[in-house]
Amino acid sequence: MSSTEQGTSSAAPAEPTTAPESAAAPEVPESFYYVHGKDKVVHKVSAGALQHSALIHGMISNLGYTEEQAKANPFPFENIDGDILQMVVDWCNQHKGKPTPPEDTNLPKQKEKLFDLVLAVNYLEIKELLTYCCKQVAMMVKGKSPEEIREIWMIPTDAEDEAAEKEAKKRAGKEAAGETAAAAGDAK
Amino acid sequence: MASVIKNLAEMTETSSTEPIYDTNWCNMPAEIKSKCISKMMLKERLSLRCTAKAERSLVDCQKIGFYRGRIRKYADRLVFSFYHDKSQMIRKRFRDTTKGYEFLNYICKVGVFENLMIAFDESAAQKEFEKYTGEITAKHVNLEYSTYEMVLPILLKMKDGVESIMMYDDGGIDYIFDEILAISNIWIDEDSKIGSTFQVFANENGSFNRLLMRFADRLVSKDERRVRIRTDNPDRHILLERGLDETVGIDYYDQYFRLMMISAEMKKSEYDDNCKEWIHKIRPGIYGEYSDLEYNLNKNDDFLK
Repeated sequence: MSSTEQGTSSAAPAEPTTAPESAAAPEVPESFYYVHGKDKVVHKVSAGALQHSALIHGMISNLGYTEEQAKANPFPFENIDGDILQMVVDWCNQHKGKPTPPEDTNLPKQKEKLFDLVLAVNYLEIKELLTYCCKQVAMMVKGKSPEEIREIWMIPTDAEDEAAEKEAKKRAGKEAAGETAAAAGDAK
Repeated sequence: MASVIKNLAEMTETSSTEPIYDTNWCNMPAEIKSKCISKMMLKERLSLRCTAKAERSLVDCQKIGFYRGRIRKYADRLVFSFYHDKSQMIRKRFRDTTKGYEFLNYICKVGVFENLMIAFDESAAQKEFEKYTGEITAKHVNLEYSTYEMVLPILLKMKDGVESIMMYDDGGIDYIFDEILAISNIWIDEDSKIGSTFQVFANENGSFNRLLMRFADRLVSKDERRVRIRTDNPDRHILLERGLDETVGIDYYDQYFRLMMISAEMKKSEYDDNCKEWIHKIRPGIYGEYSDLEYNLNKNDDFLK
């Protein structure tokens, strides 16, 4: 894999950002893991930041990777666009060991990006970020009429939906008939 | 270690084979749509449910919380007012009562009210509540100007968790007190939790005696102000109190009552003799502390604290 290691500014420091523990507690070196998205760009993320993701946290629990093993085995999330994964990683880093605030105003405003982020976050099981994202999605249609919502979210009318369904059935029927004819031709 | 890595590879392999996302509302899974809908206010939900059948059924499955809601008939219109919190209000008026009652059905089904006021006095609304097969979720219920026939179907449809029910009528509608006392039967049957309270005022004599007659075989104690009865649960009693103080004397025109589920262990010395607070809740202004204006504001805008 041609991996471009991308140490995000917030991922790099290893010092814990959590509230100081008692002075007697020994310092445990922070472990790091690596993830990449569809663009194969590898992101280095601390285990502490990854705790936000129930999916990844479940994967790495008790894994006991050495730094080399972690580097050699980045988690591939090829169903997530690189820029979206970057946003997720940044968010996890920013909120590492911190209580999440009631609002997050740094989420993307563009529809496509936000929906991609929602889906990625849902897949990665990042509960708090999903809540923010869903709130942001809801805000997109604040004060809008049904027609405006239909336009913004490209929701087909029932009639359009039925027509598309009919068309799909017709196409599927034609394809099935074509396949049967081809199979019959092969048999001859 | 090798097996862990193998498992991990399998897990991530699965993640990689999932389809590339489409970035459109319609391609979002239903559970995410539902989560987004749960963050919407009523206005947006109503708009979304008008866009397509699929969206409507999703919206209709989502509960929505309100700080308070009012459902009433005003002139020839059904008027609904909802507050998501103390400041954000949405109002819907329906001249077409069929559409209004359709909306009533929707809102009864999805609404989770902290405070709910229903003020109807017509048989059409009563039939709608009788026909409604779901539950109504509210912590505090205030029934104003509702006929006796209207009150029962509403009360019977209330979901568990009601903390207070208030009935207020200015127009001389009579509730049959015996039937209202049937709430004691409901509590006995359903083993209600300690602290459940039912308050009512009436202007007919003999209410105490009727309770005594109805529950004679369950009587624990009685005096001028209180009747205590056993329930089927040996840990719980029901206390019927009559509110009497320096303003509301024994001969006062209105009689104020409070039914309360109490612990069987409760001692007489633990009874709350200060009835002013709960009488005031049923009858704001009774102690003359409000001017007429304040009284109206209280009655109309802050029906339950």
